Amino acid sequence: MTEILGFWVAAVVLVAASLAVVLTPNLFHAVLWLAVALVATGGVFLLLDSPFLFAAQLLLYAGGVVTIVVFAIMLTERLVGESIRQTSRFVFNGAALSAAVFVGILGFVLQAGAVARPAAAADQLRDLGRALVGPFAFPLQLIGVLLVIALLGALYFARTED
Amino acid sequence: MRLGSPELAVLVLFLPFVSFLLIALIRPLRRSGRPAAAVSILAMAAALLTACLMWQHAIDAPRGTNPSVLWSWLPADGGPMASVGVWVDEMAMQMCMLVTLVSLLVQIYSWSYLADEPPPSLGRYYAYHSLFAFSMLGLVLAPGFLQMFIFWELVGLCSYLLIGYWYDRPSAAQAAVKAFWITKLGDLGFVAGIAMLWGSTGTFDFATLFQAAGAGTLEVAGLGTIMFLIYLGAVGKSAQFPLHIWLPDAMEGPTPVSALIHAATMVTAGVYMVARAYPLFALVPSVLTLVAWVGAFTALLAATMACVERDIKRVLAYSTISQLGYMMAANGAGSPDAAFEHLTAHGVFKALLFLGAGIVIHHFHTNDVFRMGGLFVQRPWVGGAFVVATLALAGVWPLPGFFSKEAVLAAVLHGRLTLPFVMLMATAFLTAFYMFRVVFLAFFGHAHHPHEHHAPPLAMDLVCRALAVLTLVLGLRALFAGHHAEAPAWLPWLSLAAAAAGIALAWATYQRHALDPARLSAALAPLAFLARRRYFIDAIFAAAYRGVLLGLSRVIGWVDRYLVDGVVNALSAAALRAGDQLRRLQTGHPQDYVYGVALGVLLLLVWAQLR
Amino acid sequence: MPLSAYLELAAVVFAIGLFGVLTRRNAVGILLGIELMLNAVNINLVAFSRFRADLTGVVFTLFTIAITVAEVAVGLAIVIVIFRVRRTIEADHLDLLRG
Repeated sequence: MTEILGFWVAAVVLVAASLAVVLTPNLFHAVLWLAVALVATGGVFLLLDSPFLFAAQLLLYAGGVVTIVVFAIMLTERLVGESIRQTSRFVFNGAALSAAVFVGILGFVLQAGAVARPAAAADQLRDLGRALVGPFAFPLQLIGVLLVIALLGALYFARTED
Repeated sequence: MRLGSPELAVLVLFLPFVSFLLIALIRPLRRSGRPAAAVSILAMAAALLTACLMWQHAIDAPRGTNPSVLWSWLPADGGPMASVGVWVDEMAMQMCMLVTLVSLLVQIYSWSYLADEPPPSLGRYYAYHSLFAFSMLGLVLAPGFLQMFIFWELVGLCSYLLIGYWYDRPSAAQAAVKAFWITKLGDLGFVAGIAMLWGSTGTFDFATLFQAAGAGTLEVAGLGTIMFLIYLGAVGKSAQFPLHIWLPDAMEGPTPVSALIHAATMVTAGVYMVARAYPLFALVPSVLTLVAWVGAFTALLAATMACVERDIKRVLAYSTISQLGYMMAANGAGSPDAAFEHLTAHGVFKALLFLGAGIVIHHFHTNDVFRMGGLFVQRPWVGGAFVVATLALAGVWPLPGFFSKEAVLAAVLHGRLTLPFVMLMATAFLTAFYMFRVVFLAFFGHAHHPHEHHAPPLAMDLVCRALAVLTLVLGLRALFAGHHAEAPAWLPWLSLAAAAAGIALAWATYQRHALDPARLSAALAPLAFLARRRYFIDAIFAAAYRGVLLGLSRVIGWVDRYLVDGVVNALSAAALRAGDQLRRLQTGHPQDYVYGVALGVLLLLVWAQLR
Repeated sequence: MPLSAYLELAAVVFAIGLFGVLTRRNAVGILLGIELMLNAVNINLVAFSRFRADLTGVVFTLFTIAITVAEVAVGLAIVIVIFRVRRTIEADHLDLLRG
């Protein structure tokens, strides 16, 4: 029962926040609405018995990404000297195409039959840890490399010309 | 029938070819002049000797044996597509002897006649002569239409090269091109006829064709058209009306060349071809009748034009056209033997006439007969030789021209061709008239301008004397060989009378001055007018050429510019336009590209659903 | 809630994110749309992982989050550089790749 209620709350918040992200004229407000959406997503993770992911989501996304985007907006906005207006173009085309894609995906979702929910894992965190250093050790290292490269790339791009 | 040895025939053929290769390829030899001439003359003498040997050692064979020896040239499944070889019957052997003899004599004559030429030009001249001898012999010995055609074209090429020997003279260059063009017109018909014949029968070879023709098994649709087309080749090469206009202009070449090519050998190739292919022509009597009529008409037409000519070489050219008409008339009347007899006799005395004219021109330094006179007194031997040849041409007994002309007239009469017969008799009268006009004007009468008494060069003199002796010998041989059975008794007397009348008229007009030539031509004013302007045939040809060819080229140019280029241009313009339109897809806005990606994803989803 | 509910939720968020990518004028706005799409993908992965008792989905989600963080960092760095050079980050004005 609680699960159903929790789902609907999270779902409504998520969808509303997403709509706000794409429709708000003010970019700064959009970023804030994105933060709300990301928290709602974390709630969904919690409902799916992944507390670790909920924490990771809050830390990385709602914390890190939102901060970066805010900084970027402030940097670009300040240099221009005014808040950037958002007037979307060809709204109807975009809405139509998005709706079409949604319907397409929905078609596949509805075709699948009902799937029973299996029993929850006892200790997801331990299993996750074991998986990361076990079968998924190699991708983990690659992710590390990727992060280093991304850091270097971002540094290089953002450097001031001397 | 007598058959010659194929090996000797090949030797005769290749001796002048080797001489040509040596002179053409070894540059120092050619540029040295006299040594090249020596090589060519030696090769020609050897070829003559071989030809005579071939005649001596000919073997008798029963009628109907295949006289040809073939080697496969273009192999194909089911027999070779084309063969080369030699066909060595009596006519071919006699023709070989004639060609090699006249070539040799002309080449010796040229040694003196062209003594002033720079050595490289002389080398070039003798190279052409060797090539011509090779081509003519190849034509004569051809066992099939394909080989004959190849050598036919080669001979035409040599004619072009030799007429235009003095290529820096515009008139000579134009005359060479004209000769080539007009004979090419006839050759178009020739090659079309040969191709159609091959298409129907699958073979070029004479042996196969004649055998089928003789047995009556030759099943060819439109044989009349085919043989007419083949005859067109002879019309061009042997200067029949209306393709005779190139021969008078061909006199721009050196006189020995005129003697060899345009009197004795090349122009007779057409007559030879018709005589050779007679078994096929015999199947289409309508074409033969046409051949006879055209021949007779050409003879008369050319004779009228010769009567008003001042240039001695032009007179001889028209005379050649006229005599070629005689030969063709004999072919058409059904007697290729008579045609061939006249061909060989004419070859000898016409060559003598041309070479003698060369001496005359050399002496007077002009071609115009009205500026000559009194040469007989100064040079009796030259005059004597010339008069002998003229009597032979006029058909006076006992010279070879009389017998051969009688044979031609007898054949025409036998073929019941009345009007051609009348035309040929009239031509005989005119021939005697205009030839003796030349004789009286050039050799008798008063010398207009006093000239130095230097003797003609030895080579030229000796050659003329040799030819004169040969003419007399041929006449005696014909005399003792007996008359033809078909000739009616009154025929020889009639032809003699015509000749005598012509000689008398010429004597009265130009020697005795009893008749005024001006009043004579006034009496025949319209004819004289037309004859002087060559009956406007040249003008008609030029206008037709300009009209047809240039008009056609304009049409083709239009098609090329607007249709062919138009298609290509339209295609490229379409490609450019399409490209321009397509580049609008590249807006540079990433969002538009995302649109594309999203559309693609949509399509994928739809496709996955439908599977 | 059945699996399909979570999948439908993810599809809705994905479509909304796509709409944002297609219609926002500002480059940063486009990046926000991309964030939403990635989030929807994550929800999908976790949902499948839960309903099939397979941990692979969760691990994948972790990796996706890491990659997304890296992508945002580099992307925004590029946006800043473009802004320095061209003095604008409006998508309509950034058409140097125009053919």
